[in-house]
Amino acid sequence: MNVTEKKWQDWPTHQVITPKRIFFILVAFILLSISAHNTEIDKAAVDTSKAFLSAVGMGDSQVLDGAVRFVSKAFPIQISERTEISRIEGLDRADLPWFAYVEIGELREYDALDEKWTIEQTEYLVEPLGYLKKVIIKMWETIEMGFWGTLISVMISLPLGVLATKNYAPHRLVYTGARFWLSFHRAMPELIIALFLVLMYGFGPVAGVLALAIHTSGVLGKFFADEIENAPNGPQLALKSAGTSSLKVLRYAVLPHVLPAWIAYVQYIFERNIRTATVLGIVGAGGIGMELKGRWDLFDYDHVSTILLVIFITVLILEFGSQKLRTKTL
Amino acid sequence: MLVFDSVSRQYKDGTIAVNNVSLQIPQGEFCVLLGPSGAGKSTLMNMINGVVAPTSGSVAFCGEIITKSNMRQFQRQVGMIHQQLHLIPRLSVLHNVLSGLLPERGFWRSFFKFFSKEDQIKAFTLLHEVGLEAKHLQRRASDLSGGQQQRVAIARAFVSDPKVVLADEPVASLDPTMSRSVLNSLKSAAKHRDASVVCTLHQLEYALEFADRIVALRAGRVFFDGSPKDLDLQTQHAIYSLTQIEEKERVGKRGNEVAV
Ligand SMILES: Nc1ncnc2c1ncn2[C@@H]1O[C@H](COP(=O)(O)OP(=O)(O)OP(=O)(O)O)[C@@H](O)[C@H]1O
Ligand SMILES: [Mg+2]
Repeated sequence: MNVTEKKWQDWPTHQVITPKRIFFILVAFILLSISAHNTEIDKAAVDTSKAFLSAVGMGDSQVLDGAVRFVSKAFPIQISERTEISRIEGLDRADLPWFAYVEIGELREYDALDEKWTIEQTEYLVEPLGYLKKVIIKMWETIEMGFWGTLISVMISLPLGVLATKNYAPHRLVYTGARFWLSFHRAMPELIIALFLVLMYGFGPVAGVLALAIHTSGVLGKFFADEIENAPNGPQLALKSAGTSSLKVLRYAVLPHVLPAWIAYVQYIFERNIRTATVLGIVGAGGIGMELKGRWDLFDYDHVSTILLVIFITVLILEFGSQKLRTKTL
Repeated sequence: MLVFDSVSRQYKDGTIAVNNVSLQIPQGEFCVLLGPSGAGKSTLMNMINGVVAPTSGSVAFCGEIITKSNMRQFQRQVGMIHQQLHLIPRLSVLHNVLSGLLPERGFWRSFFKFFSKEDQIKAFTLLHEVGLEAKHLQRRASDLSGGQQQRVAIARAFVSDPKVVLADEPVASLDPTMSRSVLNSLKSAAKHRDASVVCTLHQLEYALEFADRIVALRAGRVFFDGSPKDLDLQTQHAIYSLTQIEEKERVGKRGNEVAV
């Protein structure tokens, strides 16, 4: 019977390098190279090396020039606000705002008719912390946007989340519909929703808040639904078999179980919404991003660096705070 | 009172868990279901409150046959102590008990956990009756010992003044002293309210001690039905000695059913 039996010396050994593997590695290498070229990974490598060489004094680098152009104007950061006094209506010189003082400065203007620069002496009102104050107010507005975005998102996603569960949807069609609706919300990035909403509601925080609410309700709703579906069935069965209606079962046998996870997730979304709200202003949807974009376009990099610093510190504080909260609630 | 009329239940995989059972359980009776594991005790019990529907035959309650449309109404008159208790772990003891009242209370009141003083006093009475104390009220159900959880489950089953209480192995995981005291609580709570109890047990001695009536099931059929006095030693042994012939018969039947 043992026709095919070989002597143990002739048993096949394990081969590491096989033609098949070489072929696969080659194909993978080619595909990766094409993709890398499409995304300019090669350019990144070349330009970055050039920047390093240029930094030690060898040759020029576009990358380094860009960085230098920003950094040279970005520091020292600008925290004071200068306003021409002639533009302030009803200024009472005897009662200036806190710490503010008047300064004589030059106003350079280009006269297009004479094709000449005119230089005038004007008075400026200088508020030493004026710009910082303005940025902080804008940052607060951004946090508020994140807050309302999250709140509205929860209000949308709670009912949708319940309808998107197999065990609590009144009908399979409702379930499928709710799931689809939620993925639709998830699939639209905030910036794109914000673009549309700016068109509809005009510039300002409304567009940003609604954009955040719409996108994150898709994320939250799916999460709520999954948590409900994964809740232990026993307690639900116990209440249901005593004749309790679904909504009450949801309230008593499901909510206590899922609430801690829900809270943690909503908190995470809130944090994320504030971070996102900082960039929504770039398309005009309110918040600190609008100020950032304006200053960026005017090459006021010293103002830009103030904004970046405030964003950075805010995000740090938020992360620290929410970590504290999380250890408390769980 | 509670009438099973040639009830059978076959599961999707062909297992006949309950096979042509006819029973009458009068009001106020403490009826113990005995039988080896897999005999169909839980299945029979779950047909009373609609967790499982009979595949043939009918269950009637106060002369009315239980159907899908009047199920809710019956469920409200049945209290159940589940085999795995199924308390709500993160909810307080008090609210676990009060959750037995949910079917009769309005949605918004329930939503905000607003229960009237009378309701709460009712819960206190029951908790006291089963031997729990004021310090347990606000504790989470998950922070109680097994025996204490068992008692909370009993209190929850009785809080809605049910006419029938189903108890599926209420003392499965308790030590003998605890078991006796839990069964005592169950029996006296039922006596006070003139509620019938259908209770499954694995321990014959407790059945003999507490039951007004014993129904023994074997392979889905009623094997013995009578008062504890009539349960002689021979029958007692026979209940748990499922013969191999019977086992084969059941497996064979299952195979046939599937093929059909
Ligand atoms: N959902 C189900 N699907 C298929 N078979 C089931 C299902 N539930 C129970 N059974 C089968 O039905 C038979 C009776 O089960 P049942 O739970 O009623 O037994 P029991 O007498 O309560 O046993 P125990 O004392 O172990 O609780 C068993 O053979 C079991 O495997
Ligand atoms: Mg059982």
